[in-house]
Amino acid sequence: MHHSNLINYKKKKMVNKNKYINRLWIPAFMLWFLVSSCSLQIDETDSLITEGASDIFNGVADPAASLTNIYNNISGQAGDQSNLYAMTEVTTDELLVPTRGTDWGDNGVWRTLHAHTWGSTHSQVLSVWNNKNSAVLRATEVIDPLSNASVAQVAEAKFARAYNMWVIMDFYGQVPFRNPTDGPEIIPSVMTRAEAYDLIVSDLEDAIADLPVSDAASADKTRPVKATARFWLAKVKLNAAVYLGAYGANDLSDVISLVDAIEAEGYALTSGNYFDIFVGPAYTNTDVIWSVNAGMANRAWNSLHYNQAHTDNGGGGWNGFTTLAEFYDKFEGPTADNSLGAGQEERRGYTQTLASTDAANQGFGFGFQLGQMYGWDGTSAIPLETRTGDPLVFTKELPGLIGNNEVTGMRLLKYSPANGAWTSGVVMARFADAFLMRAEAKMRSGDTGGALADVNILRGLRANTTALASLSEADMLDERARELYTEGWRRNDMIRFGTFSSAWQFKESGDNHTDLFPIPSNALLSNPGLIQNPGY
Amino acid sequence: MKKLLLLIFSATVLTTSIFAQETTITGKISDASGDLPGVSIQIKGTTTGAISDANGEYTVKANQNDVIVFSFVGYATQEITVGTQTVINITMAEDATQLSEVVVIGYGSTTIKDATGAVVAVSSEDFNGGVISSPEQLIQGKSAGVQITSTSGSPGDGVQLRIRGTSSIRSNNNPLYVVDGVPLSGGTQPASSDVGYGTSGDTNPLNFINPNDIESISILKDASATAIYGSRGANGVVIITTKSGKGSGSLEFSSSVSVASPANKYELLEGQAFLDGVAQYGGDPVAQNYGSNTDWQDYITRTSVSNKQNLAYSKGFKTGSIRASLGYEDQQGVMKNSYMKRFTTRLNGNKSFLDNKLNLNLQATYSNVKREDPPISGNAGFQGDILGAAYSANPTWSTDPDFDTGGQRSPANMLTYFQSQGATNRILTNLSADYKITDGLVAKATYGLDKATGEGVTLITGDAINAGNGVQGFGQGQLNENRSFNNLVELTLNYTKEMGSIDLEIVGGYSFQSFRNQWHWAGARGFSSNEFGAMEDEIRSSYDAGVAAADAIYDNYNNWGISNDLRNGTQTTGGFVSGINTSEGTLNQAYFARPTGVDVEAIAANYYDQTDYLQSYFARGNFTISDKYIITATLRVDGSSKFGSENTYGVFPSGAVAWKLSEEDFMPDFFSTMKLRAGYGIVGNQDGLGYGEFIRRERWADVGVGSSREIGVPGTTTQGSVNPGLKWEETSQLAAGIDFGILNEKIYGSLDFYNKQTTDLLLRRDAAQPAVANQIYDNLDAIVENKGWELSLTYEAVETEDISFSIGGNVAKNNNLVKDFAGELNAGQIYGQGLSGAYAQRLAGGYPLFTYHLREFEGFDANGQPIGDNQTYLNKSALPTWNTGASLNVRYKSIDFAAYMTGQFGHYIYNNTQNGFFTAGSINNARNVTPDVLTSGESGAAEAAVSTRFLESGNFFRMQTMSIGYNVSLNSSSMIKSLRFNLTAQNLFVITKYSGLDPEVSSNPANYQLLNSLPTAGIDYTAYPRPRTFTLGLNASF
Repeated sequence: MHHSNLINYKKKKMVNKNKYINRLWIPAFMLWFLVSSCSLQIDETDSLITEGASDIFNGVADPAASLTNIYNNISGQAGDQSNLYAMTEVTTDELLVPTRGTDWGDNGVWRTLHAHTWGSTHSQVLSVWNNKNSAVLRATEVIDPLSNASVAQVAEAKFARAYNMWVIMDFYGQVPFRNPTDGPEIIPSVMTRAEAYDLIVSDLEDAIADLPVSDAASADKTRPVKATARFWLAKVKLNAAVYLGAYGANDLSDVISLVDAIEAEGYALTSGNYFDIFVGPAYTNTDVIWSVNAGMANRAWNSLHYNQAHTDNGGGGWNGFTTLAEFYDKFEGPTADNSLGAGQEERRGYTQTLASTDAANQGFGFGFQLGQMYGWDGTSAIPLETRTGDPLVFTKELPGLIGNNEVTGMRLLKYSPANGAWTSGVVMARFADAFLMRAEAKMRSGDTGGALADVNILRGLRANTTALASLSEADMLDERARELYTEGWRRNDMIRFGTFSSAWQFKESGDNHTDLFPIPSNALLSNPGLIQNPGY
Repeated sequence: MKKLLLLIFSATVLTTSIFAQETTITGKISDASGDLPGVSIQIKGTTTGAISDANGEYTVKANQNDVIVFSFVGYATQEITVGTQTVINITMAEDATQLSEVVVIGYGSTTIKDATGAVVAVSSEDFNGGVISSPEQLIQGKSAGVQITSTSGSPGDGVQLRIRGTSSIRSNNNPLYVVDGVPLSGGTQPASSDVGYGTSGDTNPLNFINPNDIESISILKDASATAIYGSRGANGVVIITTKSGKGSGSLEFSSSVSVASPANKYELLEGQAFLDGVAQYGGDPVAQNYGSNTDWQDYITRTSVSNKQNLAYSKGFKTGSIRASLGYEDQQGVMKNSYMKRFTTRLNGNKSFLDNKLNLNLQATYSNVKREDPPISGNAGFQGDILGAAYSANPTWSTDPDFDTGGQRSPANMLTYFQSQGATNRILTNLSADYKITDGLVAKATYGLDKATGEGVTLITGDAINAGNGVQGFGQGQLNENRSFNNLVELTLNYTKEMGSIDLEIVGGYSFQSFRNQWHWAGARGFSSNEFGAMEDEIRSSYDAGVAAADAIYDNYNNWGISNDLRNGTQTTGGFVSGINTSEGTLNQAYFARPTGVDVEAIAANYYDQTDYLQSYFARGNFTISDKYIITATLRVDGSSKFGSENTYGVFPSGAVAWKLSEEDFMPDFFSTMKLRAGYGIVGNQDGLGYGEFIRRERWADVGVGSSREIGVPGTTTQGSVNPGLKWEETSQLAAGIDFGILNEKIYGSLDFYNKQTTDLLLRRDAAQPAVANQIYDNLDAIVENKGWELSLTYEAVETEDISFSIGGNVAKNNNLVKDFAGELNAGQIYGQGLSGAYAQRLAGGYPLFTYHLREFEGFDANGQPIGDNQTYLNKSALPTWNTGASLNVRYKSIDFAAYMTGQFGHYIYNNTQNGFFTAGSINNARNVTPDVLTSGESGAAEAAVSTRFLESGNFFRMQTMSIGYNVSLNSSSMIKSLRFNLTAQNLFVITKYSGLDPEVSSNPANYQLLNSLPTAGIDYTAYPRPRTFTLGLNASF
């Protein structure tokens, strides 16, 4: 009995306890709930969170800073030897990147560009697609009224959008488009080439109206002015037949009047040393319309040999990019000698000789680098050797895209380390190009005489050239090649003149499906509105 | 929080029990080695109890009918009916059987006998010995289905731990680590900076723990066990429990010294043979002969001597225990200029109050880990890192660091003019209080703090030749600082009750964890000195002056830079700062004059400061019916600030059942244990997903110093992406297993089957252009399947006082497959000369992860060019299908011997080192190669494209550790209680056909360098050579 009493007693006690505990849990759970309503919002400690009605886009925080980033991006692309530059030059008869034993194989990425055998998984095809498309969106965001950008900022943004969208239209033929306020569930619409053309033209016309008046001798040409937008509008219209199938009634006369307007603002052909045009960073010469702050280093060092070192670049070059004998032969001068004073035309440049190598040029020449290379050992000029100890003599011919050694192929220097190993400034648009575009528009409008006169005016300014007696389409294309090589126009020009599908060294003739690059396979996966270009 | 605790505590005042009719029982408790304090003495079915004091003595009041329960962790529980006794002396026996050992699981503990999920525990006596950088190495090869791979032989380098296969397709497949109840996040020592020699991934997040302080490591393998960790449980959970105080007060000292040397090296051409090779390929051997004959591998490696000292004091009291330890370890790497020096101190204590109703617990550790790393990277370019440079170096070069090789990197130059050092301080503290509210109901509150500061300085002096653009003559440096500050607040209630034949155990809780991470890094070029000390002073003082100048303008900035060549700015020289004002929602930029104290020509710094939150509710119920049927149900709800508005909260349920067949009458006694279990659960994974990836944010673009010491003034850039639907990755797992013990546990083991399906795979992918960010985090529409089985078996053949003999082994089979994926993503980037953009693996549906996609190499044609130029899928993956481990333990009187072996099978290794360095093109350019290159028939002008030529089976079986120990017999009056010597050999030999240095390898570039954001596996590119190590150790207790 006693025992069961105890148990009863304990049970009773337990009930009391439980009662108390029940009461305890009320405030405890309330507190618990208070604690648990902790916010899971992230803090704005190092970035601004876009907030607003849509939670998606409420305008960029600082239009000026967004524009800086947009133009930094253009500059970054210009300073890179792959992607945009390689796709405009290595795909043509101007440049190739031969595989040199184990060097520059890079999974075939360079060979396929030159041989026109690229596919939709090509890394540079994807990289440019991503880069240029996102640049278009960033420009659209600044243009959007929600960003409250000034008229001048909107004009800079419109130029940037037109430039970036033009690359996409020119390369891929289709342009996806997204409004900044579109939600993530909205897949970008896809503009046809003609639709994109219209938007580009309209953006450039708006930019011409609202951009600052040009100063042809400005030391800072990194941001667009009226002349920059006019240049690009002329470029777009000169290619109208490629983009739209045929020229519109006023396209060619518009090209002529746009270039006239550029000229009227003070831009002119320069009469001095041709290679002086390409010495940055302050491009005060009136030939340069637009330059960016990118370093010229990749353009020079990508091709030079490892042992071509500079005081400021002990590591030397990367021994990659070369040009072709056929391209060299488009210029006047001796066929097997391009050394200083060999009588070649000015634009072919020259290689230094033992005598001409000094502490200033350190052995670096200009233009086509052919034959023995020289260097500066700190006190005197020396002939350079390969890594295995043979003379460093660049050959005119190459065995092919593969099977090369370290000396095969001429190197092509528009920007020379003779002006400094790491000089900043890459030219994006020149009046000489505009001048030739105007001549071409005249020719295409039937004024061949006017075009010939213009071409000969330009040639008259370049030493060791003779005046042309007549002007065919091929002559015009060649003249553009001689004046504008490695400036990013060769692919565009060859397509316009219908020669991009022809055969040249290490490239067979083909159909013209390679006039357009493929839509990258990753892009096709992400947007069902994109349709692969024919032939891919 | 505080109020809640107060309420809980104040409730205790009223909860005292009253007893009557009792007699006083006294007694003394001892074990084989003497008095045993801290033993719990409890009257069965009541809250009445006591704890044995320092002399093992106790006093308790009880009735004649009461049953007294004597229990202590690690000992078999005893129950004695009081009867007429007034003195009850007890000898506690150590609970020897593995299956009854306590296993720590999430928010509780169990035993293998009673677990419903797949759980294994390895306790300290079974840990691997020798030089241990990181706790995972303690259990390598010890557990079935747990693949532990050291990524290289570097001291303190990363360890990959995969539980039941690889289920994520991005990086971060490591499990969740929980140390004394605090879940950790990520690494804290900055990855080495890229100053031109490439990058390597983060260092190991666990190397701040002193392995000597660890009591046990539990691994939760299936979803029913990990579901209590919800959105972080998908890759399994590793729970590390540190030692607590026990015994009557003892001082333990251990000391060891280790000697290590590289276990393997490449056979390369020596002096004359190299020159002959150059001549064979048309080079000029005279021009290439610089007169020396150096083995460059020997030059950069060494026989290193490391040492380790540990001192610990441990004592159990009547109402608590304490353990304090100090440890210092100096691990010297087998490559020159590499070490890890670790100082740790730990204090673990607990104390009970109010008649054992209130318990306070503290686990605190402080560690300081210093590292030096040589220039080694997982993505070095064609000139290689220091290993690549050593492999390709002309043996006749001078070892003078200033010797100009004419284009290649000289190992001597790299070793002399590069320095990367770092230090991490970390505090991990866990303070908890639990209160027994009533019989069976315990409330517990925990506060955890994990605070770490890591700093690294990487310098390359102006004397470095061919280091990278703009380094020579100017020098380059990088200063990194990572700080992390994690807080954990946790409240749990634990309720246990016996209801007739049903034992009920319920745990419920709430947890809130914040993770704050701050990264600061600064890069500088143009140093006035070429001495490391002066350079470090210069970068630090320049950084401080820059910070002061930037701070004076904006409190909250993203970056700043100072240079004589500022680009894209309105000002072309001086400094700029880019700030954000979150209250106004504006981004600002300002310029300032070059501050005094900035001695480097140019310096640029970036800052990130990000905090993530995780809030969770969880509950687990465990029902044991008639001690035969066990049902466990678990639910966790996790809310994470890493996910978008649509998926902030996730629900992770699991359920499991077990049937203890051995308790059934129809089972013969032959089976001492036989339990069937099965479970299903859904768990998540959010590791690797950073801050605010789902939401669009703006900040200033990062800045850096260019090769001509210029700085581009940044514009703004978009971070993250608009993806409100972003959510955790989800793994559902169906698992079943058998735990068995035969002949009174002489033979015991487990057999498990599982099927894991991982969906909503988190990955950075190309966005639909035009997009604010080219790559966005998204949940990929695909399934990763891991199916397999695991078997572990131990046979304790003899166990007597003089002799013991046991063998054990485990084997696990895992089949991995990617299903229902429409895309194809290249992965496994290959590095080296002419290999930019080359890749070896591809992610695609119908193939396992890390499937190789290569050219089929068919030999060389007559011109020495390789045949086969079409990359295709191979049915070969870098993932092992078989993982095994085996152990042998023998003791005869005072001498014991142990051996542990581990092996992985069925996978393939891509020998990127051979691809990048040992081809005819290399010797053609006067770079050294292995002798077989000269006879391969390959042309010197051949491209070394990626192909099956460099793919090899990765099967291996390694003698991981072998140790022999001697326990000195001491008389009981000796001041020294125990004394033990042991000699341990690690990595004694490897059985493999792999031609590279070691098949257990995974080159590890930094995350942002990964192709398509996909991690690599099985790629061997200039990995830090694995050492063979001999350790002589001494353990003594006083």
